Amino acid sequence: MKRFGKSILFIFFSLCVPAAGCRKQEEKSSVPAVQILENAVPGGINSDIYQWYLEQIPGIEKEMGIRIELVPAGIRDEDFKARIALDLKGGRSADIIGFDQFWVPEFAQAGFLLPLDPFLPSWPDRSQYYDSMMEMGSFQGKTYLIMRLTDLRMLFYHKQMLADAGIPLPWQPKNWDAIIAASEKIKQKFPDLIPLQINAGVEMGEAATMQGFLILLYGAGGELYDQKAGKWVVDSPAFRQTTDFYKKIYLDRKLGNAELVTSPKAREKTFEMFSKGRIAIYCESTWFYTSVLKPGESWGIKDRDEKIGWAKMPGSGAPGAPEFISLSGGNGWVISPKTKNPDLAWKVVARLNTLSSLEKLFQKQAFTPTRKDLAQSTVVATQPFIAQTAPAILPFTRSRPGLPDYPEISFYLQLLSEQIITGKLTPDAALKEFGRSVENIVGKENTIQKK
Amino acid sequence: MPGSNQFLSRKTIFAFLAPAFILISVFLVFPAFWVIYLGLTDQALTGIKAVLPSFVFLKNFRVALGDRFFYNALKISFIFCLGSAWLGQALLGLVLAISLYELKGFWRNFVSGAAVLAWIIPEVVVAYLWIAFLDKDFGLLNQMLGAVGFSRINWLYTHPLLAIVIFNTWRGTAFSLLLFSSALETIPPAFIESAKVMGASLIQRFFQIILPQIRAILLTDLILITLWTFNVFTPFLLTGGGPSFRSEILPIYIWRTSFKYFKLGYGSSVSSILLLINLGFALLYLLARGRKKHA
Repeated sequence: MKRFGKSILFIFFSLCVPAAGCRKQEEKSSVPAVQILENAVPGGINSDIYQWYLEQIPGIEKEMGIRIELVPAGIRDEDFKARIALDLKGGRSADIIGFDQFWVPEFAQAGFLLPLDPFLPSWPDRSQYYDSMMEMGSFQGKTYLIMRLTDLRMLFYHKQMLADAGIPLPWQPKNWDAIIAASEKIKQKFPDLIPLQINAGVEMGEAATMQGFLILLYGAGGELYDQKAGKWVVDSPAFRQTTDFYKKIYLDRKLGNAELVTSPKAREKTFEMFSKGRIAIYCESTWFYTSVLKPGESWGIKDRDEKIGWAKMPGSGAPGAPEFISLSGGNGWVISPKTKNPDLAWKVVARLNTLSSLEKLFQKQAFTPTRKDLAQSTVVATQPFIAQTAPAILPFTRSRPGLPDYPEISFYLQLLSEQIITGKLTPDAALKEFGRSVENIVGKENTIQKK
Repeated sequence: MPGSNQFLSRKTIFAFLAPAFILISVFLVFPAFWVIYLGLTDQALTGIKAVLPSFVFLKNFRVALGDRFFYNALKISFIFCLGSAWLGQALLGLVLAISLYELKGFWRNFVSGAAVLAWIIPEVVVAYLWIAFLDKDFGLLNQMLGAVGFSRINWLYTHPLLAIVIFNTWRGTAFSLLLFSSALETIPPAFIESAKVMGASLIQRFFQIILPQIRAILLTDLILITLWTFNVFTPFLLTGGGPSFRSEILPIYIWRTSFKYFKLGYGSSVSSILLLINLGFALLYLLARGRKKHA
């Protein structure tokens, strides 16, 4: 017993001593410092952006007489999101964070982001930004994020395969039936290939929601969140059309391959299949074209610009449905409200957002511009794909409902599509289950069924 | 322990115990109560509920008990526990300990050394080793299977639950092995020798002599590894809970709700349920131990 007590005491003190010893050492420096956190690492995720930072930072430091510390991270987006949420909650985050536009609402609601509105009137570049892009960085009337890049969603296709199947080029379907008709023709000509892929399933993650369920739902004239009523829609004619369309292309007509989209690493496998010409038509984002299919990358296609065509994603064709539809996301910079020097942090953000700085970023990796002068610049003109798709699709593109509950509801949308395309549930049963799941998340009173 | 301690006064005992109490309160009791409290709120990491969480009483529990992913995780956790803790670690540890008891010298040191090695390597390293071992294209296992003419298998995809069961067995058997080995040492050799002389078979010796002698330790071992296995999170490093939730044990489900959907309140309520299950195990253990004493 004596020895036991002694050993406890020993353990207690041995725990206390180092704790007392490690007092934080503050680095004293007369030069003001700004920290930038970005999910980018050399040789890994977003290495282009990391390189771009390395080239930009010395100039900015000299110009502004400050020190900039770049904090790299190389983790999955959702882990990065959890990390910065914990950082910001703990009040110890970097001053400036490279941030997904889509996270703004929930972070802003929690008071984790600095409103940028006081800086905007005196910001000369403000007038260059499309209003829709400023809107994407805002929540409830306040601006929290400056969008540095955005993306668009559309149909990509192998020109030669469509031509061989007797489809006139350039191909532009006017409604969902036209997509099915073209896919049927491809199937007849190439029975071993996958004519069409519209993403679905949990494994595809957010790619199954954005360039899958939501682009169809919006294209059928539906909504996921009813702004006016302030409720989540769990059933509507558009929902029914979307689920029926999934059933039609995956089960009834076997135009898509459900096994592929629900197997592990489904997205990477799809990239590989499309790259090798085993998938004819695929709904994806700008990033897919500029980064995945980029010649020289692992799934790159040599002569990409000649071989791959793109078409606007049409609406369903039903009355009340939009003619064409696209979804956009993107990212930019936010500032932590705990930053010691908000003015300085803003100046750095503004400096990163100048035309010349963004042009350099564009040269590293092409993206859809968020401002007019960049869209018209000669640098962008060197990338015909971006130069053409931006004016053609930006006018009607939409974004996801930016609400804290969305990520989980998005998961249930993926599950809904998975259950339909694998034939586990009928569209009707799957929709009912989806409705119950959403009710569990937001409460029955916050959901609505439209007839 | 019945009877009071004559060497120390009550005061001194409390003084000696105070640091331990403080440590246990700060690091165990307080967090446990905090989790129970959080589980009654709708606290979130982001959004309005991060600033203004409200008290929802048992709503989280109701939602959990109506969520099939919760039941899935519970089921997977029980299978995982049965497979890796009971059949794996305990049974394998017992078999190894008994075989080693008869064995002396190099092989004994080798086997127990290897088992302890598996136990002391950091979990993240072990997880990486297993991923490398099981990989479809480059993994050693598939290379060996390929060499003898079997087709390659993507283990973590086709048999995710089996993979994490074997992983956890490999990882944790050393503890049971060590515990049983030392328990066997306490059996007077004369018992076993005389049984041998009288012609008792191995199975008879096991059930008649060894098992009754080590029953208490067996029970302690089972309860400890059951609790550990129920709480372990490392399988996440192998399969992430997938594919399609086929290896989503309860701690991974809790992680998913808390740190993917940021629903800290809900995650805490499921943690409370896990806490209750663990308490249930502990209670069974105490009951079994109490019964044995009176028997």
